[in-house]
Amino acid sequence: MEDGARLMERVRARDVDAFEQLYDGYHRLVFGIALRIASDAALAEDVTQAIFLKLWSSPDTFREGNFAAWLSRVTRNRTLDAVRSRANRPLEEIPADVPAEASTDATVFARIDAQRVRGALSTLSEEQRTPIELGFFAGITHEEIAQRTGIPLGTIKTRIRTGLRRMRESLSEAVSR
Amino acid sequence: MNEPLDREALLDLVAAYALGVLPATQCSLVASFILADAGARREYDELRATADLVGLSAEEPVDSARAARMKERLMATVRNDASPRRAPASATRTSAMWGTTLAAAAAVVFALVSVIQNFGLRSDLHESQTRVATLQTRIDADRRTVERDRRMLTDLTASDAKRYTVAYGTVVTRGEHVYLALGSLPPLAPGKVYQAWTLARGAKTVAPSVTFTPSQNGLTLVPIPESAGNLTAVALSVEPQGGSRQPTTKPAFVQLLGV
Repeated sequence: MEDGARLMERVRARDVDAFEQLYDGYHRLVFGIALRIASDAALAEDVTQAIFLKLWSSPDTFREGNFAAWLSRVTRNRTLDAVRSRANRPLEEIPADVPAEASTDATVFARIDAQRVRGALSTLSEEQRTPIELGFFAGITHEEIAQRTGIPLGTIKTRIRTGLRRMRESLSEAVSR
Repeated sequence: MNEPLDREALLDLVAAYALGVLPATQCSLVASFILADAGARREYDELRATADLVGLSAEEPVDSARAARMKERLMATVRNDASPRRAPASATRTSAMWGTTLAAAAAVVFALVSVIQNFGLRSDLHESQTRVATLQTRIDADRRTVERDRRMLTDLTASDAKRYTVAYGTVVTRGEHVYLALGSLPPLAPGKVYQAWTLARGAKTVAPSVTFTPSQNGLTLVPIPESAGNLTAVALSVEPQGGSRQPTTKPAFVQLLGV
């Protein structure tokens, strides 16, 4: 399959075949993230449909960088919005959404796949991995992570930072191999 | 967060933001820090790229029936959209279906309202509606705040934003938006505030803009309400509480925009 970024270039030119390839290549990622966050297959299906339709109708929302990473963040934000719309939560409990724009550093890991990410996560200690996974998939603030795990907030903050750094090192090693 | 944070504590918050677990109420603090500190910006870029990849670990096979159903629905919509000739017929069918559905929905609503009236529950209904309206207003206000913060952070961290280094921080412009991200403003004397000034295109004198006092951390993010496209410069000075019509002290900085 062609790289996601290249397929998106063709989608911009209204290429239906490219869109179909894009769907075949990435629906497992989108549905998997949505299902993990929402724990609701019907909602995950709706989110998957909505995201791919958005890719078709507004392909310019992706500009450059690592397509899978961008899509992963878009799916997270979209699913959390859908889940939150069912619950009225006070502002201080809502984490700030990270902009879905590609970060300037995103191209470094342009060809990282799910297996390598799972490998990098497995190099973390349980103490580092838990707050990172809870943070990404549960859509809660670091204060709520501290409450749920019974670990002091300061420790959670440090573990998130050291865990992400460690994960980055693992991925960098995997890329350079 | 009453105590000023040291750099390491702020870097922990940058990591929390990169992962997406920072409370929305702490966004402007982190955004100001990222802009005022090149090391923090590098850390954000690196951790953000890493955090985005965490989602990839959730990729898993979708059962074949569901995958086929989703694809069929999606591709039908996309193919229909890609071939404009088929659109009007489909639109007519859709309109007809919507018309029937709406008529049915209206009948149901009418019946419901009648039943409520018959049981003399009008006052309860009114009370409920008031409660719903109040809650909705609160939700809308929260949503607007979150949207504003999201837009602000997107602007501040965007690669196509223009950044101008000034005394005490950075002026950032992106599209029509202008922000002052200031990291080390001196404390103010009692009864004083900082005031931003803007110079509109073709104007000979500056116009007063927002007033503010720095946060305890010394990090302050100030969105300028005027549109960037209409401005040629921004400036900052210390003024009496309530602001001034013209600057009364020497500006802390004057920055030309678009240069």
